[in-house]
Parts: sequence; structure tokens; C-alpha cells
Amino acid sequence: MSVESTNLEPKGIQGLGKAIKRKEDPRFIVGKGGYLDDINLPGMLHMALVHSPYAHARILSIDTSEALKIPGVKAVITSRELAGASLAWVPTLAGDKQMVLADGKVLYQYQEVAAVFAETRQAAADGAAAVQVDYLPLEVVVDPFKATDPSAPVLREDIQGKMTGAHGPRRHDNHIWTWDVGSKDETDKALAQSEVRIKQHMVYPRSHPAPLEPCGCIGDMNKATGRLTVYMTSQAPHAIRTVLSLVTGIPENNIRVISPDIGGGFGNKVPVYPGYVCAIVGSIVLGAPVKWVETRTENLTTTGFARDYHMDIEIGATRDGRVTAMKVYTLADHGAFDAAADPSKYPAGLFSICTGSYDFQKAYAEVEAVYTNKAPGGVAYRCSFRVTEASYLIERSMDALALELKMDPAELRLKNFIQPQQFPYPSALGWTYDSGDYEKTLKVALDRIGYSELRKEQAEKRARGELMGIGISTFTEIVGAGPSKDFDILGLKMFDGAEIRIHPSGSAIVRAGTRHQGQGHETTWAQIVSEELGLDVDKIIVEEGDTDTAPYGLGTYASRSTPTAGGAMVLGARRIREKARKIAAHLLEVGEGDIEWADKKFAVRGVPGKSVTMNEVAFAAYTNLPPDLEPGLETTYYYDPPNLTFPHGAYICVVEIDQGTGEVRVQRFVAIDDCGTIINPMIVEGQVHGGLTEGFAIAFMQEIAFDNQGNHLASNFTDYLLPTSLETPRWETGHTVTPSPHHPIGAKGVGESPTVGSPAAFVNAVVDALAHLGVRHIDMPITREKVWKVLRQAGVDSF
Amino acid sequence: MEITLLINGAEKKLNVEPRTLLVHAIRDAGLTGTHIGCDSSSCGVCTVVLDGKTAVKSCTMFAVQAEGHAITTIEGMANGGKLHPLQQAFYDQHGLQCGYCTPGMIMSAHALLQHNPSPSEDEIRFGLSGNLCRCTGYQNIVKAVQQAAQMLQQPVGTAADD
Amino acid sequence: MKLEYNGQEKVQASLETVWGFIQDPNKVASCLPDLKSVDIKDDKNMVATVGVAVGPVRGSFRFNIELDPRPEENKMLVRIRGGGLGSAVDLIASANINGQDNQTTLLDWNGVASVSGPAATVGGRVLDAQAKKLIETVFANMGKKMGQA
Repeated sequence: MSVESTNLEPKGIQGLGKAIKRKEDPRFIVGKGGYLDDINLPGMLHMALVHSPYAHARILSIDTSEALKIPGVKAVITSRELAGASLAWVPTLAGDKQMVLADGKVLYQYQEVAAVFAETRQAAADGAAAVQVDYLPLEVVVDPFKATDPSAPVLREDIQGKMTGAHGPRRHDNHIWTWDVGSKDETDKALAQSEVRIKQHMVYPRSHPAPLEPCGCIGDMNKATGRLTVYMTSQAPHAIRTVLSLVTGIPENNIRVISPDIGGGFGNKVPVYPGYVCAIVGSIVLGAPVKWVETRTENLTTTGFARDYHMDIEIGATRDGRVTAMKVYTLADHGAFDAAADPSKYPAGLFSICTGSYDFQKAYAEVEAVYTNKAPGGVAYRCSFRVTEASYLIERSMDALALELKMDPAELRLKNFIQPQQFPYPSALGWTYDSGDYEKTLKVALDRIGYSELRKEQAEKRARGELMGIGISTFTEIVGAGPSKDFDILGLKMFDGAEIRIHPSGSAIVRAGTRHQGQGHETTWAQIVSEELGLDVDKIIVEEGDTDTAPYGLGTYASRSTPTAGGAMVLGARRIREKARKIAAHLLEVGEGDIEWADKKFAVRGVPGKSVTMNEVAFAAYTNLPPDLEPGLETTYYYDPPNLTFPHGAYICVVEIDQGTGEVRVQRFVAIDDCGTIINPMIVEGQVHGGLTEGFAIAFMQEIAFDNQGNHLASNFTDYLLPTSLETPRWETGHTVTPSPHHPIGAKGVGESPTVGSPAAFVNAVVDALAHLGVRHIDMPITREKVWKVLRQAGVDSF
Repeated sequence: MEITLLINGAEKKLNVEPRTLLVHAIRDAGLTGTHIGCDSSSCGVCTVVLDGKTAVKSCTMFAVQAEGHAITTIEGMANGGKLHPLQQAFYDQHGLQCGYCTPGMIMSAHALLQHNPSPSEDEIRFGLSGNLCRCTGYQNIVKAVQQAAQMLQQPVGTAADD
Repeated sequence: MKLEYNGQEKVQASLETVWGFIQDPNKVASCLPDLKSVDIKDDKNMVATVGVAVGPVRGSFRFNIELDPRPEENKMLVRIRGGGLGSAVDLIASANINGQDNQTTLLDWNGVASVSGPAATVGGRVLDAQAKKLIETVFANMGKKMGQA
């Protein structure tokens, strides 16, 4: 067994398509990453939070006297103190508002009730334990289907009787909004006329991104200068700065948000959490820096959950397997506040991508959101705004339809794919898909896994009484928000920025409004600039996360960095190249029209050997300019993409099921992704490995569950199960390349595709293994216990 | 109370409370490469190597229990500016993304290779199963440990893969 | 997490002794296992701090305890609300008190507890057995102390 590294050193000119090792790695492998908790400021205080043990209760009293007696404890704040600063409630991203600390009552278990500030981490924790809160427990709403019962208790008394919300009318005090898209009448008609119809209810369970580094923040108010510096584990530091300015009244230029190295985000680190607000308020009040770092329990119980979509789908088709129409109703459990992280106009995110890769002529989708006694959230967990739910829904449903039609699921998909010549493709629910070649990608996957042989093997095994299943998912993503005409968050348009500065000696610093959390921007941005400008990647520094220096941008989530900031990087570099061309013409003493950019140099057309490098041009930009040209070689470019990008992929999973224990073993998993142009194949493959592992986790392990009193049943890593190296399958990856026609280099983004596309492949494989026993669906997470029960119900012997 | 730990070969005198966890003591001593990721000894990002051969989740141990023991952290792995083969291999094989689990992962792998210098893939996966990673799906981590095992078995003076 | 228990304690004491005992907050408090401190508010209310260990959840819980004697029904109600370590406990215990003869009294007791927070979730796997033991110990202690009274 020999393991060789074929990855290239990050040195010299290394443009698109090169698998160079990551420029950010050297600091991480020696333990010199700079994460939030590694930052310690002089005189810094520590904060700990008091949490509610009840899911729904009135607060009768809060007694802080014992806490204040503990040595080192400086102050305790509750909602009352926050109200003095008009910060008892803050706006959410979804047009709702949320309590910072419980105001009068608590609405979910572990809700933040008080904040304790102390000289040490230990004293703060001791202080939090000493705060006495007297509660009167109230009736709890856990089941979203019961939230709008006439007899259900009103959860949000602050908006009781207010029957219009940010997204239209409310029909019950626990109803948030109803959003729909498509033509209901036409869809109903088309369904009624369909030869075959299937219906399926499926739940995308509540999960949590659970990055290994918890969320945290240091508020540092300098009273002498009036400047507030906030260190924060934030995927979107610029948006945070603007929001902070709006809610605190501090002018935006007096706020500096620094997002240091981030130990994974996956959507968890997009929103503003009560802990951040309290740490900042604490710093302003106490005049000292205040650090707050979550415990794992705080992370899992209070910060942004994902999914919790309860979906009903109906699909119509012809008897020979051509889809005609789809209709979807979804009940969305948003918890106690609507803090979903979605673009303003899209309260259900991009869920309307639910027609997937298939040519549906008619479709209608309706989503209703309700309040329950659970933590708020609805973040896009490695997901572009609910695309994960949509993709799972359609890919599970296509298998259900295939089963109904007794048709091979691959054949059914091939029959219904949108064809390459149909792009740009207008979907029935209003999107314009940029490009795709679904058939090609699926055929590569079928070939790679040996599909027809596998089907034979399955038939043989089934004849012997063994359980083997094959699951396919041919998903389409929708990422890269986005065109500013459609997409904003709190009014902030979702473009992104890049700044490129080339120094006289030919090295450069590059900054972007995005903030990576492991995606490798320090390498890929350098590769883009190296490609476009012919500079050495080892002479390009990439910097993100400091709002004082980086250009404005909406951050890194929803697979948007490459489609937006990546585009800005390309076009900014090209703008520099145009200026550089003038300098090159000056140096080569020819007219600008005689200069061509070839082999990453400026050459005189038709004169071999006469050329200058970008390094030489850079030096001249500061030393030897043509007359009338502005000195320097730098630019800032804001890129507003004309459309979203639509990456796609074909995943095939093979499972075997132990009929005694219910254990599902993933035998093989082939993932063929098409994310358009690939910048760094090594990084793309790494993203796919990681995303598949998270998809695997959601399919089989991870769930944020509650008991009927609203007790959180997954408050730590012994209850919220993450896959280890032992159970994680071996991934087989590959690519097709269908460039985006509108992105400057044809790239589409890849970080989330595997998490979006894979859960359906896993579940389809499990159902396929059990279909002959009459099993039609199993909700995630597919635990051994669930499968064991299904097997026993189906009358399968243990041995 | 004052304790003395031998961290990465250097004696450190630390003043800790009896309840101070080893991971907090290490981090408070300025060695922030050892991370904290859970409160239940589940994630392994705080893994250090005790007495040169045993991987320990430093949140499972009180600082006072480590009195007199030698502790190796990620900061002690490189030798005079030359990366340890495990560090080199994680870099070569793209065995990290956000980097948060990486120090603990490298320390667990270090202990594993002390006991089993040429582990199989299954043995590596078993050996690292106490360390969670959310980014890589472990596949490149396994490759990195395989590469490091090879590098460590090469005679001194010959270069490894690169 | 809702828990329900019941049991019977045969006390070697007269009915009057038993009633005298259970209406004295000091005496009732002394039956709580691992009692750390008690603050008697009046003849019906007290605040007790008790050491608790439910699996990995270990520390002190603070309980508001309200005694509600109903001699006309031969019944004693005790309401307990409180908690600690981020957990909450709501417990209603009742006992039917029946004198058998001069020296024996039967306590037929029943307890319904609702537990929230880490004690229920993290400690959930062992909570049931622990809570049962706890409540049995309380009544056993009562029986013993009443017999000595």
C-alpha cells in the first residue's frame, strides 16, 4: 500500500484546474490557527448565560443577589436591563423579532434568561448557576400540527391578535405565514387528468449544523475612541456590522467586526444570537472586553437549527412514466421566533426548486410556518435556503413514482430530465436554470458503479433472502444568491465584493466580502488571480473577515462564495489587466492594440519573444508609467450576478441491511458532481467528501428531537450523534463539467451539493432494499431501531 | 494550587484551581492549538499525548492529575521548523479544512502510530474514531495517516513522497 | 419527562404522632436525603437545598416545598417546585394516612413528578431509577423518624 500525494505545491503560477495544496494549511497543522477562543484581550471579562429548564413558562421572579456575591462576578443583566438600552428584543432576518433575554416568559427550553459577567470563565459559570429564577410552567406546544389548534396556547403574546405579519396574513396566533407559488388550479387539473398519481408524506427532521467550534464573540468597546470592535464567529461579518449599527445606533464606521479563523460554520454562524448581543452590551456597560464562548449544549439547544419541514407531495404521471404535475404542501416548524435565514422575499427560501431536474409542466407549492416551543432558527445547514428539503422531496418522490410504475428509477429519471437544449430552462415554479446535462452525469454514475450488474446482484441476493438496495439521487441545486433584483437580506442586496492590490514588486493582497470556514478561499481566490493576472500564487495573500479592510459583501453560506465573490475576483482581475495592458504597451513601446494576453504574459502580437510579465508591469505601475495614467495597480469590484447557478449531480448508493439488527451498511457510494468549471479539484473533492458525510449523518444519525414537554433530547454529542471515521462510508467521487454560461469563469459552487443531494440517495437505497416487503417510505434518521421495527412488522425473521 | 507540567519538553509552573481541566490549563498557558469542542469528551479536538505514547482527551483530566507528566501538544510536533511527518501528510493529502479538529486528530494519529507503525485502513479508522471531523469525511485524514506511516518507516535521511 | 411512583409505608407510630410530624416543616425537611440546608418560611412553606446526582448531572437542587395537610380527608399533599443545574422539577406527592391501631399508621403514598432540563435529558437514562429511589427514601426516612418520635 503506497500513498502518494499528487497534489501540487502552491508555488508559481497556478491557475484554474490545478490541485494545489492549500495556502491556509501551514498555520493550522502546527496549531497556530487563530480561532475566536484563542483571542485574549487585556482586562477581558467572561460571560455565562442562565437558561430556562422549561419549554414554556412565565417568569415570576429573577433573583440575582446570590450570583452577585460570588467573588469575581461583576454584573448580571436580564431583559429589564436590556430594555433600558432598547435591546430587549431585536429584529430577526425573517422580519420577526426575538427576545434577547427572556422577557416575561420563556418560549423554549434552554432559552437565555440572564447573562452573568465575571473576571474568570469559572466565576461566570458559578454566577450563572447561582441566579434563582422562579417559573410558572405553561402548556407546551411541541407538535407543529397542533400549533394552530383552536385550543392551543398563544405562544407569542407580544403579537397576540396582530393578524398580519411580515409575510402576509396570519390565521392563528401561532401561525407565522403561508407562502405559495405556482398555479394551484392548473396543477389540480393536470393531476386530475394524470393516469397515475402518487402521494407521499415525508419529514425532513430538525437537525443542527454543529460545527466543531461553537459560536462565540468578544465585544470590545473602547470608551476613549467610541469604537466598538467585535470579534465574532461570523460567516457574514459585513452584514453583522450593518445590523449592529442599526440596532445599537452606533455609527457603522465606529464598528469593526473581525471574524477570525472559523472552525466550521455550515450555516450555524450566519445569524445574530442573544449571546453576541449580551456580550456587546456587557462591554458597552462595563467598559471592558467581554468574551462569550458557547458550551456545546448551548450550541445545540439555542443556536440556529435547520430543516423541520413536514411535507406532503402529490405527483401525476402518464402510465409510461412521464411526469405531468406536482403539488406540495409543507408545514414548517420555525420554533418560537421566525429567525429563518432566508432572503427577504423568500420566507420559504428556494424551496420552489422542488421540481428538481425534471420537466414538470405544472407545479404548485405551499408552505405554512408555525410557532412552537422550540428554539428559533431555520438556518441553511450546508444548504442554499431550503434547497435541501426540496431536493430530498423530489428525489424521494421520483423513487416512489418508479415503484408505483414498476419502472427502474434510473430509467424514470432519464425519461424526465430537462434536456441540454432546453437551457436556459424556465421551471414551472419560476426559476431559470442556467445549464445542465443531467443525462450525461447520471450515465457516468451508472457506468462507474456498474448499475446493471448491481441490479442482477440485488435480484440474486433477494432470492436468497438477503436485503440489498440501490438508491439514486439526480439532484439540481440552486445557489449563488444572488441577483440583487431578487435577493436581499434585511434590504442588503446579495452581491459580493473583491479587492485586489498588486504591490510594486509583484506580490499582491486580495480581499473579499466572503468569509471562509474551511472552504479554502485563501487558495482558490489566489488561483483565480493567478489565472487572470499571471501572478505566483505564493505571492498572493488572501484576507477575509475584517470589515475595516475587506470590501462589503454578504458572506459565505448557500454555496454563494464562488458564484458571487469568485465572479468579483475574476472581473476585478480583468479590470486590472486592462490597465496593465496600457502599461505593457508603454513598456514594449507599441500601441495598446498590438498587445495580446497570452501564456499569462503581455506579448506583442506577431513578434515572438517580445513580452512583459505582470511582475514587470506591476513595478512599472509605481515607477514608470505612461503619461496621463493613474499610478498604482489595484481595484475593488462588486459583482452582482445576473442569475443564480444550478449545479447538479448524480449520486448512487448501495446498501445492505442486516435483518437481525436493522443495521444499514453503505457498501458503495458514487457521487458524480457537476459544479461547472473547477478551480481546485483537490478542494472540490474535499468539499464533496465532507458534504456526503453530513448527508450520511442526517440520513442515519443526526436529529434534534423533543419529548412532549419540550425537553431537548439532543443537547450534547452523546445524544446528537455525529459520524466518526468508523461508520463513515468510503466515497467514490467524479465530475462532469457543464459551465455556467453567465459566470465569468463558468463556475457554479459545490460546497453544499453533496449534503443536498445525498440524503435521498441513502433513503432511496434503504427503501429499495425493503420495497419487496411492502415498505414505501421511512423517515430520516433511519436508525437501526426504526429498520428493526419495520422488519419485524414486515414479518422478517431475525435470523 | 501550583503544579508543574512538562509540556513539549519545557517545564511549566501553573497556578490552577483543583477543578481546572487539563485542556484549560494548557490553553491558559498560551498553547491554543489544543481546542475545545464539546463538554462531554465526545469530539477529541482537545487530544494531547501523555508521556509520549498515550492519547488523552485533555478535557477528561484535571490539570492536577497531570502533575509530573510529560504532555505533547500540536505545538510540540514540529522539530526545529521541520514539520512532523503527520503534519506534512495532512498538508499533502488535504486532510483538513476548517482546521479545528486537526491538532487533536494529529495527536491521536501520533499515539496510534506509536503503537502500530503500519496500521491498515480499518485500524486507522478505529484508532481515530474518538476524534470527530465535520469537514473532511475522514477519507483524506486516513490517507494522511497512511502517508505519515510510510514516511516514518523510511530510513532517516531519505525524503518521503515529495 | 413525567414520572409516577407509589408505595406504602407502615409506620410504627400513632395517627396523632404522624400528623404532628408531617405538619412540622423542620421534621419533614429532615427526611430529605442529602439535605444541605433548609430555610423555613412559615408553618407550610420552606426552601430546601438538597444534593442531587442523576448520572452526570451532579450538584445542588433548590426546592420550594409547600405542605398542604388535609386532615379531614386523611390526606397530606406536598408540592415541590424547583431545581438546579439548569434543570427543573415539579413534584406533587400525596399520602393517604390511615391509623391501623394505636401504634401503627399506614401511609399510602403517590408521587407525580415532571422533570425538565439536563436532569431529564442527559440523566434521562438513569433518572427513573434515581427518582424512585429518592422518593422511596423520603418516605422510608419518614417512617423511621416517626417511629422514633
